[in-house]
Amino acid sequence: MNRAPALFAKTRDLEVRIDEFLDKVAEGGILFERGMVLLLERGVAPETEQKMQQLIQLKERCNDLRRAVVNTLYSEMLIPDLRGDVLRLLSHLYGLLDSLKNAFQEFVIEYAEAIDRQDAVDAVRDLVAVVVQSVQAAVLGARAFFRNPQAVRDHINRIRVYESEADAITLRLKTALFASDRPLEKKLLGRDALAVIDGLADLAEEISDELSILAIKRVL
Amino acid sequence: MLATGLLFLSSGLFLGWSLGANDAANVFGSAVASRMLRFSTAALLCSVFVVLGAVTSGAGASAGLGQLGAVNAIAGSFTTALAAALTVTWMTRAGLPVSSTQAVVGAIVGWNWFSGSATDTSQLSRIVATWVICPLLAALVAAGLYRLGTALLRCTKPHLLRLDASLRLGLILAGVLGSYSLGANNIGNVMGVFVPAAPFTELSVAGFSVSGTQQLFLLGGLAIAVGVYTDSQRVMFTVGGDLMALSPFAALVVVLANALVLLVFASQPLSEWVVSLGLPPIPLIPVSSSQASIGAVVGIGLLQGRRGLRQIRWGVLARIASGWVTTPLLAALLGFVLLFVVQNVFDQQVVQPPG
Repeated sequence: MNRAPALFAKTRDLEVRIDEFLDKVAEGGILFERGMVLLLERGVAPETEQKMQQLIQLKERCNDLRRAVVNTLYSEMLIPDLRGDVLRLLSHLYGLLDSLKNAFQEFVIEYAEAIDRQDAVDAVRDLVAVVVQSVQAAVLGARAFFRNPQAVRDHINRIRVYESEADAITLRLKTALFASDRPLEKKLLGRDALAVIDGLADLAEEISDELSILAIKRVL
Repeated sequence: MLATGLLFLSSGLFLGWSLGANDAANVFGSAVASRMLRFSTAALLCSVFVVLGAVTSGAGASAGLGQLGAVNAIAGSFTTALAAALTVTWMTRAGLPVSSTQAVVGAIVGWNWFSGSATDTSQLSRIVATWVICPLLAALVAAGLYRLGTALLRCTKPHLLRLDASLRLGLILAGVLGSYSLGANNIGNVMGVFVPAAPFTELSVAGFSVSGTQQLFLLGGLAIAVGVYTDSQRVMFTVGGDLMALSPFAALVVVLANALVLLVFASQPLSEWVVSLGLPPIPLIPVSSSQASIGAVVGIGLLQGRRGLRQIRWGVLARIASGWVTTPLLAALLGFVLLFVVQNVFDQQVVQPPG
């Protein structure tokens, strides 16, 4: 590990915390995907409950990190021109992690039975993978904003592509769902379940919009 | 005798105060306005290094100004400095951009005009040429530093927080250099007219000898420091980003370019080194830190092409440029009138007859 000069020790400490925060959000994406796969394959089981607990703990740790970073930024009067923007970015990323946890919780409690046919299970697994890719691209974009603003554009583009792909899969699944002979209440439950997953990619896209403005401000 | 001398020095101290209040903004304005640095820190650093620059390196630029016209009576020095100080104060109060250097040059020409002394036209043209060269040089230095800095940032890709900490440190160091240069270069404006008629004698304290001129410069430096502490905070917040919105990195480049240009026109060793290369010497004369800062901002703007050109507030620039013509004229006219009043109403000798 490269040692920072004493002059930059406080800065280095804050860098480490921001990096840890971003790591945790990325980890949240992985846990969500693993949890959803387990849920689709095995239903509500001890392993899925364990993923739920892991996501809750991750969210708490992220919240502590976010608060610590914001407190230090303001108390030490660091990055005065971008402080508010960084605070907003971290809040949105934390909101994304919170939504991942809430979505998984809703699936465990409300939608465990919503997707029961094998072809639909495969397509939902695809949808979850694409959505999680958009979340990971948002984390990479945020990391690039701190270290290499020129690269933010590439990540923004990836988020947008994944979001469009998620919309396309959701539309295909909904069309198939309502064309099937399942009872109406199952169709409505399935529609809501799909909207919950697709909504996560929309949140990632909102972060990409914010990142595009932040990147311009940093390059200036 | 000393008390009378100090009384006559009061107009120089007034000029020093107004220079401190106005020109400290060119050194630390962008750092304080962007809240990268606390005003108290900026004021302390600026004051200490202005005094150091004035006492240790102020002689060169001051002598350069003296060649324009040696104001040889203390009442004349008082009136000349008063004319310059009033010009600076009036124009500042009227919201017009003003350069202390130009006010002093105008006031000295006013004294020459009143006393019938010949103005050294070659020295005057050299000084006027610096009013064009100084902002041009600052623009070139700023553009070079900006390009070098952005290339370095692209290569090293520092974390936003590391960059912030480095810029903060850079602004402090550049501000310190800028303050030293301001003291070295601009003390000639504040106390230059008093040098030929200085009321102090050489002083020896603990084996160190301090010349009368150095005592004069110390006093002027302290007056600048008082101006920094009492009235520069308001100016720093008003001036910061007036001409063009600057990022903290661009602000650092402006401060650094300003400091380097001022140092070029104050450094005797540098001028001697240039001569040793077979080149003409650098004229050691006070130059305007406001002009240098403006030149640096415009240099960065031009470097950014069409986008930068759009960002520059050309109306503000035109107002500043108009001040470069009106300031010396107003100071010369005011100097002439005040010298007439002091000589004929207060019966003071403002000109020492030759011989």
